[in-house]
Amino acid sequence: MYKAIVIGGSAGSFQVVTRILSSFSPNFNMPVFLSLHRLKHVRSGFLEALTMKSKIPIIEPNDKEQIKPGKAYLAPANYHMYIELGNRIALSTEEPVHHSRPSIDLSFITASNVYREKLIGIILSGANHDGAYGLKKVQENGGLTIVQNPKDCQVTTMTEAAISLAKIDHVFSIDQMADFISKLK
Amino acid sequence: MTITNQDLQIFINAIKTSSNYDFSEYSDKSLKRRLAKVLIDYKMEISGLISQLKGNNTFLEQVVKDVTVNTTELFRDPNIWQILKYHVLPKFKNQSSINIWHAGCSTGQEVYSLLMLLHELDLFEKSKVYATDLNNDVLQVAKKGVYKYRFNINYLDNFDKSMKENPYNYEEYNEIPYEKYFTIDKSKDIIKMNQFLLDKPIFKKHDLVKDGNIFYVKFDLILCRNVIIYFNYELQNKVFDLFYNNLYPNGYLLLGMHESILGPYASRFDKMGQFYQKKEMFTYMP
Repeated sequence: MYKAIVIGGSAGSFQVVTRILSSFSPNFNMPVFLSLHRLKHVRSGFLEALTMKSKIPIIEPNDKEQIKPGKAYLAPANYHMYIELGNRIALSTEEPVHHSRPSIDLSFITASNVYREKLIGIILSGANHDGAYGLKKVQENGGLTIVQNPKDCQVTTMTEAAISLAKIDHVFSIDQMADFISKLK
Repeated sequence: MTITNQDLQIFINAIKTSSNYDFSEYSDKSLKRRLAKVLIDYKMEISGLISQLKGNNTFLEQVVKDVTVNTTELFRDPNIWQILKYHVLPKFKNQSSINIWHAGCSTGQEVYSLLMLLHELDLFEKSKVYATDLNNDVLQVAKKGVYKYRFNINYLDNFDKSMKENPYNYEEYNEIPYEKYFTIDKSKDIIKMNQFLLDKPIFKKHDLVKDGNIFYVKFDLILCRNVIIYFNYELQNKVFDLFYNNLYPNGYLLLGMHESILGPYASRFDKMGQFYQKKEMFTYMP
């Protein structure tokens, strides 16, 4: 019933992202969009670190790259990642939003415009407000909204911002998150 | 603020009828977003903006500048500059002249980055560097070669990686002082390129969508970084056609870190990492 997942995270989200990526079942067949803030100077190595335990391939996409099911697309450092109609990804070097490039909001908003009620949006641990508005858009378009339980987050700003702005369908601990993910096809 | 497809179409048409600019083949996601931002910044409705655009050329130029994206850095993506320094530019060493076109140079940071590499490799004198952009205002900034310092401290890291380190030989370290190429004035909060760099490039206004090659020379290297991401697929192919036809055989094309040739032109280039090399074409005569 769902067609895509978009995940946003920042400070303290690395472990939970790794856990999510390692929880996909063998018949999982949706694209996953990862919009994650990273330290300014960590431009390489991040993809490799995420890939180690992932059950699905992770790609740092090129502009206009075709979206394929069963793959995770990681927003490249220093680019915004948009999801376009026609099943392509578009990148942009527009100025940072909330001091961030990639911007979680922009990935969520554009993914929501494309996948509407067939989208799952997940906001994880993080230290700023990015993603809250994007998750609200997911909700307004009928998609499923999930937030990591702030009690489980190393940094709670991002999840709390999302909870106060959008109507959240599930607030999950890391274990609950992994369990939920493992049941998706 | 949400821009509808219809708003966008009205905007594109208004620009097209009042000027030479044509945004109809731009990627609409980012154009919509930029337009929304312009309306907020100018506190205007789309209808008000449209009527202002007609007959007010200064305003139109300003809006064009605001809807196009102009972010750039000194030595953005240091790895690319290292490949340029150690693998690409040395191939031109035995030529008597080198023609380089920097298409979509924006405020010029990468034009100066390139010039510094050419200078380090003793290729500066025999190089001709042409730099173009759609927008006159950013070209004026590029010509001045003065950039904010505090906002851009990462320029210095990028410089160190690109100019001082050799990724192919970790023991090598070239102590090149910043002052050789630019002056940092912390009290004025500026980085200023040195005069001999400012004197070198030929800056010209140019529209990739319709102007073709305005320099009447062919090129050994074309740089076009993070420009075509704002074009749709069809327009990207037109631009690749322009580049292909104006490169020498075996000439190089450098795109942005996450840009690639996906369509019919892919087979006319050899891809080596981020660099595309134009294949030598042989005509078969029966």
